[in-house]
Amino acid sequence: MSGIVLRPRATFEARVDLTGITPDNLAGLSLAEVEHLSVPHGGRAIALAELFFVERAPDSVLLIEIGDERLDHVGAGMTAGEIIVEGPVGAWAGLAMSGGVLRIAGDAGDFVGAELSGGRIELAGNAGSHAGAASSGSRRGMSGGLLRIAGSVGQRAAERQRGGLIVVFGNAGEGLATDMIAGTTCVHGTVAPRMGRGMKRGTVLCHKVPELPAGFVDTGTHDLIALRLLARRVAELGEMIGAATSARRIVGDTLLGGQGEVLVVA
Amino acid sequence: MILNGVEIRDSFAEAFPMVGTRLIITADTPEWAMIAGKTTTGFATSVIGCGCEAAVEQVLSPDETPDGRPGVSIMIFAMDFKSLKTVVPLRLGQCVLTCPTTACYAGVETGKRVPLAKTIRYFADGYQISKKIGNKRFWRLPVMEGEFVCDEDTGSVEGVGGGNFLILARTRGQALAASEAAVKAMAAVRGVILPFPGGVVRSGSKVGSKYKGLFASTNHHYCPTLRGTVDSALPPEVGSVLEIVIDGESFEAVAEATRVGISAVCDIGSAGGIVAIDAGNYGGNLGPFHFKLRDIMGAKP
Repeated sequence: MSGIVLRPRATFEARVDLTGITPDNLAGLSLAEVEHLSVPHGGRAIALAELFFVERAPDSVLLIEIGDERLDHVGAGMTAGEIIVEGPVGAWAGLAMSGGVLRIAGDAGDFVGAELSGGRIELAGNAGSHAGAASSGSRRGMSGGLLRIAGSVGQRAAERQRGGLIVVFGNAGEGLATDMIAGTTCVHGTVAPRMGRGMKRGTVLCHKVPELPAGFVDTGTHDLIALRLLARRVAELGEMIGAATSARRIVGDTLLGGQGEVLVVA
Repeated sequence: MILNGVEIRDSFAEAFPMVGTRLIITADTPEWAMIAGKTTTGFATSVIGCGCEAAVEQVLSPDETPDGRPGVSIMIFAMDFKSLKTVVPLRLGQCVLTCPTTACYAGVETGKRVPLAKTIRYFADGYQISKKIGNKRFWRLPVMEGEFVCDEDTGSVEGVGGGNFLILARTRGQALAASEAAVKAMAAVRGVILPFPGGVVRSGSKVGSKYKGLFASTNHHYCPTLRGTVDSALPPEVGSVLEIVIDGESFEAVAEATRVGISAVCDIGSAGGIVAIDAGNYGGNLGPFHFKLRDIMGAKP
């Protein structure tokens, strides 16, 4: 599978939906066939070549040069391969991705990694709201894979998360892990108020005790072998846990019968 | 073949296919890890009476374990996969879960999956916590001491059981000293266990018995007190015979352990009262794996 480079011809005048423009879907297509792929642009559909210069790349990757916050659904539905975006992307990046790697050098809009079930998303900038969450009308958010965000996330990240790992090196906005079902979210920075409401299971790791709803119960500080295991087995968590062997364990949302946990690692 | 005055008899050990797995048990201290390892592999000398064969394989440093604590690896072998799937969770639940400070991890990644916490997680009565990251899942079971951490399952290997060699010595003390030296040397070989007490068998058996219903009975050909009354395999100067039984994850591992063990015995040599090395077999008709002593000792390490 040879690679493809997409270089924007000009600034986009409307939002572009890149659903389906993934390395696995482009495999086996000739350059001309790729150029003639139809993509939604504003209220109409146009050929990919009208928006981008399309070139072959030596590697089996899809490289999107420059990037743009109007590029929506980058990597959506990807099952394999690698997408590299040299700048920002719009909303729904990596939606329902089940494999492969999506690297974004800039910021991402809302719903990055929403309903991710496998693979890996690496975001160098900040994310909008609902990172790793359920998309509108869906019951379950991210269920597998890794969403690594070097910056901060907006509201309602990890909402209804069902599995997988979200690592946020910056801060998390309000409503983190609302209705979380399972999985792990790790926030290096601060966590805004009203996190964890309706949390059923799952783990949120952070460094300071966040402002939690009334349904959370402090069980105290415990020596947890699981921390040592996670720190060694998962490199992304090792960066946060370090040599810590104990954590304060706060369980909730008990008002709804939940057994989720916030682990505060000193 | 004679090595340092010890005769290597032209014989072979006859071994059988077994299905096995490896668990890594960690604890706060090396002592508690070893207690858990030895307890979990207790009463597991022979499948004939115990349902499985098991022993501690290696002592692991904190650098070698998943949670960075001291540990041991143990191996458990059974005659078939169904039996293995039965005995492993039983031993895990009774001997590792109950042992202070321990955690238990998969020691084999390949092969059919043997359930670990997948089975015993229900002990936590709904309070168990699952964590799956990547394709590995482990469980945290709240217990009175804190939490028991355990991988969901472990892999399995199609290994070899019943590799062996016999140490023929002038006295019981000399046979025991040579056995201890062999066991100590063989501990360095990865992928094998010596399931009998201290790694040594004093009651090697033959197949069958004069009594109905007994599968095995004393190997009278090697009993020194019967010499002269039976078809004995012992020359007059042999006063005691001890056996080392080896189970391993592969033919090569068992062969290497055999070589290392016999070499250690031969280092003691005839000066230490060792007369000969022999091996137990059933005429070559029962087990598909034959460890020919002279071939093994003739091979370069």
